[in-house]
Amino acid sequence: MPDKNTALVQGTLDMLILKTLALEPMHAHGIGLRIEQVSRGVFQVNPGSLFPAFKRLERAGWVNSEWRATENSRRAKYYALTTAGRKQLKLETRDWETQSVAIARILEA
Amino acid sequence: MNIFRRLKAGARELVRRDKAESELSEELNAYLQSTAEMKVQAGATREEALRSARLEMGPMESVKHQVRAVGWEFPLEVFLQDVRHGGRMLLKAPLFTAVAVTTIALGIGFNTAMFSLVDAILLRPLPYPEPQQLVVVGTHQRGESGMSPMGTADFLAWRDHQQSFEQVAVFDGAGGSYSLSGMGTPERISGVGVSANFFSVFGVAPLKGRGFNPGEDIPGAPAVVVVSESFWRNHLNSDPEVLDRTLTLEGKQRAIVGVMPAGFRFPSGRPIDVWAIRALYPPAGRPPYGLIAIGRLKPGIRVRQAEVELDQIATQVTAQYPTSPELFGAVMPMKDWMVSAYSTPLLVLLGAIGLLLLIAVVNVASLLLARATARQREVAVRMGLGASRKRIICQLLTESSVLSLLGGLLGLLVAWSAIRAFLALGPGQMPRLNEVGINSGVLLFTFVVCVGSGILFGLAPAIEASRPSLTEPLKDTSRSSSSASAHRTHRALLVFEVALALLLMIGSGLLIRSFVRLSEVNPGVQADHVITAAISLPNKYLDPLQQQQFWHQFLERVQSVPGVKAAGITMSLPPNLLEITNPFTVEGQGYDRQRQQQLAEEMTVSPDYFRALGIPLLRGRFFSPSDRVEGEKDPMIVIINEAMARQYFNGRDPIGGRIQTGDPNPTAPWETIVGVVGDVKYSGLDSRPGPTIYVPYNENSWGGWSRDMYVVVRGSGNAADLVPAIRTQLESLDTTIPLAQIRTMGELLDDSLVQQSFRTWLISGFAALALLLSAIGLYALISYSVSQRTREIGVRVALGAQRGTILGMVLREGMQLLSFGLLLGLLGAFSVTRILRSLLYSTSPTDVLSFGATSLLLVAVTVVACYIPARRATKVDPMVALRYE
Repeated sequence: MPDKNTALVQGTLDMLILKTLALEPMHAHGIGLRIEQVSRGVFQVNPGSLFPAFKRLERAGWVNSEWRATENSRRAKYYALTTAGRKQLKLETRDWETQSVAIARILEA
Repeated sequence: MNIFRRLKAGARELVRRDKAESELSEELNAYLQSTAEMKVQAGATREEALRSARLEMGPMESVKHQVRAVGWEFPLEVFLQDVRHGGRMLLKAPLFTAVAVTTIALGIGFNTAMFSLVDAILLRPLPYPEPQQLVVVGTHQRGESGMSPMGTADFLAWRDHQQSFEQVAVFDGAGGSYSLSGMGTPERISGVGVSANFFSVFGVAPLKGRGFNPGEDIPGAPAVVVVSESFWRNHLNSDPEVLDRTLTLEGKQRAIVGVMPAGFRFPSGRPIDVWAIRALYPPAGRPPYGLIAIGRLKPGIRVRQAEVELDQIATQVTAQYPTSPELFGAVMPMKDWMVSAYSTPLLVLLGAIGLLLLIAVVNVASLLLARATARQREVAVRMGLGASRKRIICQLLTESSVLSLLGGLLGLLVAWSAIRAFLALGPGQMPRLNEVGINSGVLLFTFVVCVGSGILFGLAPAIEASRPSLTEPLKDTSRSSSSASAHRTHRALLVFEVALALLLMIGSGLLIRSFVRLSEVNPGVQADHVITAAISLPNKYLDPLQQQQFWHQFLERVQSVPGVKAAGITMSLPPNLLEITNPFTVEGQGYDRQRQQQLAEEMTVSPDYFRALGIPLLRGRFFSPSDRVEGEKDPMIVIINEAMARQYFNGRDPIGGRIQTGDPNPTAPWETIVGVVGDVKYSGLDSRPGPTIYVPYNENSWGGWSRDMYVVVRGSGNAADLVPAIRTQLESLDTTIPLAQIRTMGELLDDSLVQQSFRTWLISGFAALALLLSAIGLYALISYSVSQRTREIGVRVALGAQRGTILGMVLREGMQLLSFGLLLGLLGAFSVTRILRSLLYSTSPTDVLSFGATSLLLVAVTVVACYIPARRATKVDPMVALRYE
């Protein structure tokens, strides 16, 4: 099985999850699917990366979780952004933009 | 905030692990279901969808593992899990666990006990404020090392002129006991005479009352005494009004002014009863040299600086006393002065017990190694399931640490009992024994040794067990797949163990041989049927004539007791109770001050002393009661020993020859030699024969020296039976005088060897244990190796191999190990037994007999240990062995 997310810069996954959750609370499968769809299949996040990331974010206090019924009336764990998470997302987005502009400049020089 | 949250979350998961686990499983399952549903919508069948969803996710355990690994609590959890697993594995093999834990417990226990001795006696600073500033001060002659007591003249000059010390004080170097009367049966108590500022040098406050006041050591001051806490408790029933009481010491009433706390035990470090005043009379001459000084150095002053200053002062004193020898200063840190005699024996014992622990560790390692081979399947399964090698090694090390910590806990119990036993039964003459105990430093030592040995004995087996050979142990169920490298490690360990055991055995062999030589030394007396005791005349016998009359009457009365063959008195007793040495000059030698001083053991004795101890007369005559010398006109007479006759009269007849005693001085009186007697040991059984001079006890110039004497009585039967009769005779003369230190001559001889015999038997005990452990180790290895080779042996027998060939084949393995071990051990012993030199008496550290005998013993025992399993190998039934699969 080809692992397509190896190209994901370390720590970037956390930012992508936070961004995904900025719209609405979602469960694990939904988050994975959304990242894959929005990236047009560039990033396929496997569960071995996804679930540790949730635990990491939850421990950091940027997301919290609760068990809820899904649209298919199953039980699933929904993750939601906290205020601290929202702040963190803003921070990371700004850093990322600064960095990517810088990297682009270097590559074009 | 953030850290706090993380800690809390981790702790919560740690405690409610089950809930977290089930939640994670549920979440992962939900994820799986969602993925599958999507695939169903895309047209796959339900089963195909689930299957491919599982494939995409990978092994669910591995995902869970990755999630678990996020928290800080994860390593801790792994460790706890390993501990639990280790404990389970140990419980599954109770015999192995019991043997290993016991071995470790004994090793660590004895080590802890010995370390607590070393710690209390050698390592810990003295229990006084700023103990590193405290020193002991004496003098030495040119070219002499060590330290001798000083005279009053030297002390006074030094006290008045020195600049290096905050305070200096002095105590009586020869002191040791006082007779106590007026409290029931008179008895002798231990004590020492000190100057008034003695306690303030230490800076230790009394428990009650005060120390001595300045001026209380000036002759004529009121008599006062300070008692120890133990004396106060045992003799005075902890009387709270103790400061209103008096003690009668040497017949003189002294007011008790203070009680010192229990920890204060200077000068000997052993229990002491009283400190009395040693008054400093203005000196008539430079000798006698009987004072030992102590001082507290000023901050920043070094021992060497103080010594240089004392040298200068001593030189001035030498100039004042033209006949005295040149003396120089000797300054020694107080702790060294108290304990340095014990440092070599204690460190050798610690080293020996350390070797024993190492042997125990090797034995447990080889047990674990055998188990490791047996557990290869378990390890292979775990590695097959994805455990890394590091993980396996960690797990096995945790297991061995659990083993060693169990052993350590039990070892503390062993240590505690060993210390109690040592304090109760061991030689009590060591200083600072009251400070021995299991304290935090000792506990730290035990813990470090524990973990260290756990890793030591766990490492090789763990590395072997985790050697990556995934398929071998899984596919082959037979026993023949033992890893060759594990076996090699195992054999190397055994070689090491045999070598260590031999090292210990050779050490103990040397000590035993030295001890045998020492106990065979002829003390120069016939010890059977001789009883000895100490008698000190109280102050009212100050006049020498009174003393002589007392002794004369006492000896006459004892002589008349039925069963007494001869009775005498003496200042010094063999084998090691020498009171004084004195310089002497033989007629015709000249008076060169630069000449290396010649010293003789000198003592006053009564005429029958020689007969009482059975000392042979070689030439001339003994003293006789008619030798009584009343006036200066009478010639002074002496008896000398054989060594002195040989050394200073080269072949001439010494009878009629003349000597002078004291510092070389042409005007000193001459003493005529009337007899030559056999050599007697007075400075220890291990001392070299040197000159001895005997003087009649009623000699005028020795008047005043006859107050403290030993009485020596030879009986016809059991010597101890004479004690009541001797005591009755003493009481008939004076009821206030105690009969003290009652010992038979045989007991005195044994007592003088207590230290030597104790360490010899202790090390021999260690060596015996070491031998036993390595025999067990070899036995286990050969048995194991035979069980591994059962099939091979079966095949050989089936193909016609003789029993003898099989026996030889198995034995050869053991003999190979043994010979390597022997070689290594002998090499090691040759290079390290030198450290024993100072403990050996007329035995070379490379004594051939000790080396040979112990090696033979080791060979004999290990051959037996190998032979038993080898014989079992010859009994292998080929049919059974081949059907073994």
